[in-house]
Parts: sequence; C-alpha cells; structure tokens
Amino acid sequence: MPSKPKTFYEMELERVYQKTSFRPEHYLQIRQSKAFMKKYHTERIELNDLAAVAFMSKFHYVRTFQRMYGLTPRHYLRDLRIAKAKTLLRQGISITQTCFDVGYESLPTFSTAFKKCTGLTPRAYQKRHQSNLE
Amino acid sequence: MIKISVTSIPVEDQEKALDFYTRVLGFIKKHEIPLGEHKWLTVVSPQEQSGVELLLEPMAFEPARLYQQSLKEAGIPWTSFAVDDLEGQYQRLCDLGVEFSIAPREAGSVKIAVLDNTCGNYIQLMQEL
Repeated sequence: MPSKPKTFYEMELERVYQKTSFRPEHYLQIRQSKAFMKKYHTERIELNDLAAVAFMSKFHYVRTFQRMYGLTPRHYLRDLRIAKAKTLLRQGISITQTCFDVGYESLPTFSTAFKKCTGLTPRAYQKRHQSNLE
Repeated sequence: MIKISVTSIPVEDQEKALDFYTRVLGFIKKHEIPLGEHKWLTVVSPQEQSGVELLLEPMAFEPARLYQQSLKEAGIPWTSFAVDDLEGQYQRLCDLGVEFSIAPREAGSVKIAVLDNTCGNYIQLMQEL
C-alpha cells in the first residue's frame, strides 16, 4: 500500500532538523543529564555532576542544554523540584519537610524559588489548596 | 505575575469538538456558558484542572476560517499538547480511530506526532526527550 504523501509541515520539519547544529550524540548526552536530574533531583546536585554525566565541559554543557531546551539546567532542576514540592504540599506535608524532601538545604531559598515559579509562597499555596478541598 | 489562563482553538461544531476532546483525548469539561447562539466552552487536562483552559471556540469569522483551512492543507498543527508517553498515546488513539498525518518521530529534543482533531485542525502531540 503506498504511504501517504508528506505534508508541507513534515517536509519543513525534516528540512529544519537536517540543518540543526547538534550532533545526534549531543542529544543523547544531554538526555542522560536530564534523566540524572529526574532521578536525583531530591538530592544535592552540582553542575560538575551534570556536566560529567553528559561528558561535556561545564560551559559547553550549559550552553548546549539551554539551546536544546530553552532553559538552563539550573532552572530545569528548579522546575522539577518545585513540581515535586507542589505535590507534597497538596498532600499536607509540612513546608520545612517539603523543602528538604525536594533537595533544598535552606528554607528561604526554597520559598523564594517556589514563589518565583508559582506566584505564591509555599504557605499560601498549601492554604489555597486546603481551602479548595474544603 | 501574568499567567496564561485560556488559549483557544477554532472548531466547526462545539458539541462534536467537546466529544472529541473529552471522550477521545481525555480532557475534562470546565465551563459551558451559553453566549448567544454559541457557548463559552472550555476543557482542561485532568492533571491540571486549575491550569490552562482550552477554549473550543466556534468558527464564526470568515477570515479565520480561511486561515484554519490553509493551515490544515499544509499539515501545520494549530497547537501542541504535551504527553508523557507518545507511543502509548499514539496506539490508544489509533485504536479509537483517530487519524494521524505524522506518526511518532523524533525531532531534535522532542518526539512528535500530529493528529486530526476532526474539527478542522491538526494537533501536535509532543513528548520531551
């Protein structure tokens, strides 16, 4: 059976990705570092660890990650941690416990990051969720 | 902080679109407010029910219809939805009779597929790799 003709969009996708400056192994290397962050985001992670997992220098790693995903590894890690924190806070876990459970070592740093990502402090987020449930 | 609260997709028939977006894609109806001959009709993801609402907007403006048709003819998706498991969703939707113009394929840092929403648009499903 003949396959369907490609749409203009599919042809454009192929054209654009043929021109991409990344080598296939770069995608795999960066994905390895993402998988590492997903697995260990509740622990202390240094940029050196991530660059080592990706087999790149720190500078090359940050630059490549940002160009591929549109944000720095640090922000990606922060978003992972805040997403997890939102889940824990909705479950009624205390703010201090949540802070440490998602890999932050300081409550003020956690609160600042949380507010930046959600627009609410952890306490306000938890309160709002509890009142929604009631 | 400014947030995205509603985004829209033009549809030919709001009832048909609601059926596709809820029964087939798995969204949940959030608002259905009568407005003249149409409705303010939105759906949300079950995972983010207080998140961004998708407005199933009636196609009632001729220049927009031309734009929609031109995108469809070129195979260009109107918008994209994120999925965790693209291959799984592809199989599930194929089993429900959904037609795809692009089967799952890698495109840089993502894997994509493009489906026909039966309401005049293509929709891209995207899994970040």
